[in-house]
Amino acid sequence: MGAKIVCCHECDELVKISNPHREGRFKCPNCGNLLFMHKEGMVERMYALGISALVLFALTNYFPFLSFHVAGNTSHANFFTSSIYLFQEEQFLLAVALMMTTMVVPFIRIMLILTLFGPLYYGYLPRYASVSLKLLTFSQPWAMLDVFLVGVFVSMVKLIKMGTIIPGTSLWAFMVMVFVMAGMQVTLNPHPIWERIEEQQKRRKTV
Amino acid sequence: MRAIDAGLTSCHVCHQLVRLPKEKTGVHLVCPRCGEEVHMRKPNSIQFTWALVMASIIFYIPANLLPMMHVQTFAGTQSDTIISGVLYFLETGSYLIAAVIFIASIIVPITKLIILIYLLISVQHKCTLHRHQRKKLYALTEIIGKWSMVDVYVVGIMIALVHFGGLTTIEAGEGANFFLLVVVVTMVAAMQFDPKLIWDPKEEKEENAGY
Repeated sequence: MGAKIVCCHECDELVKISNPHREGRFKCPNCGNLLFMHKEGMVERMYALGISALVLFALTNYFPFLSFHVAGNTSHANFFTSSIYLFQEEQFLLAVALMMTTMVVPFIRIMLILTLFGPLYYGYLPRYASVSLKLLTFSQPWAMLDVFLVGVFVSMVKLIKMGTIIPGTSLWAFMVMVFVMAGMQVTLNPHPIWERIEEQQKRRKTV
Repeated sequence: MRAIDAGLTSCHVCHQLVRLPKEKTGVHLVCPRCGEEVHMRKPNSIQFTWALVMASIIFYIPANLLPMMHVQTFAGTQSDTIISGVLYFLETGSYLIAAVIFIASIIVPITKLIILIYLLISVQHKCTLHRHQRKKLYALTEIIGKWSMVDVYVVGIMIALVHFGGLTTIEAGEGANFFLLVVVVTMVAAMQFDPKLIWDPKEEKEENAGY
């Protein structure tokens, strides 16, 4: 493939990229914004990260991430319990926000990545690829697992004087998952997939 | 060469270049590749951003004044606002946690609002100065936006952990709701702002000033 022209979405500069299939970062010459990052093996890496994220997600939600002992009483917290208690207190806004940003949106993103990159890994472009990519773009700012991790640390310090805090199995899985999710964010480069979608559309039109 | 001068725009979802005919303003055009609506600039970007910034300033007041959570023990109910939480950590010597909470729930939202207001005013005055710095400021608002959620999550985790059937319970306060709204509304405000507007005014002034 030859040169292509990209429009910087920060400053509207038209950038001619003579060799878009060179590995590396492509930056806007005007404002320095990262246009995209090309790296070979993106599909394979995304598929691998997607599978590990799904396994870690299951682990994180199955086991409690923190246990708390005070005077013979024990309570466990996992991702469901905070939302459920908030629902019981009729704090619906908080409950929904907590559930969406820490469970629903990350899970949807993992499933989108698996259903998109799974078929791509086996050399087949699914029909729903453009919908998946669109949803991945829109849901990106609303997955806040990394922020939640900081929240876990803060509440650990907050409670440490009241009783004994025991980090659960899923805290470790959760910490790894935060890094896996960040890795997915960095690796994801939708441009080559959009190009494949365009080729498929052209082929459909000619046939 | 900028895309707007060439009559082109990029789809904000798939970054496809689309030609926007000038005479067809007001007609809804969709991207041929992904089917998403395309615009030269985000429509009514400045108005929407101003409205959301105003809304979050209003929400920010009760978020700080009302308690984030109520802690019920045998000794009675204790209510904590954001500031009193920070002060508690300072008194007990957990400076790091005090700093984390102070930065996440006070500095981050205020910085974001100030940056957005500055960007809005400078764009409305067609300012051509410090474009690179303003672009960096906008990128900063997008990065730091979600980190103010920390305090809301802490409330959620505390509720889940301190739950011993009647002895000691923690309830979320009204302030937490307002704080959540501040975070969400400022995030939407930053998304509504179109960074391309920073680069739109022509640099005639600078050329004239240079003689």
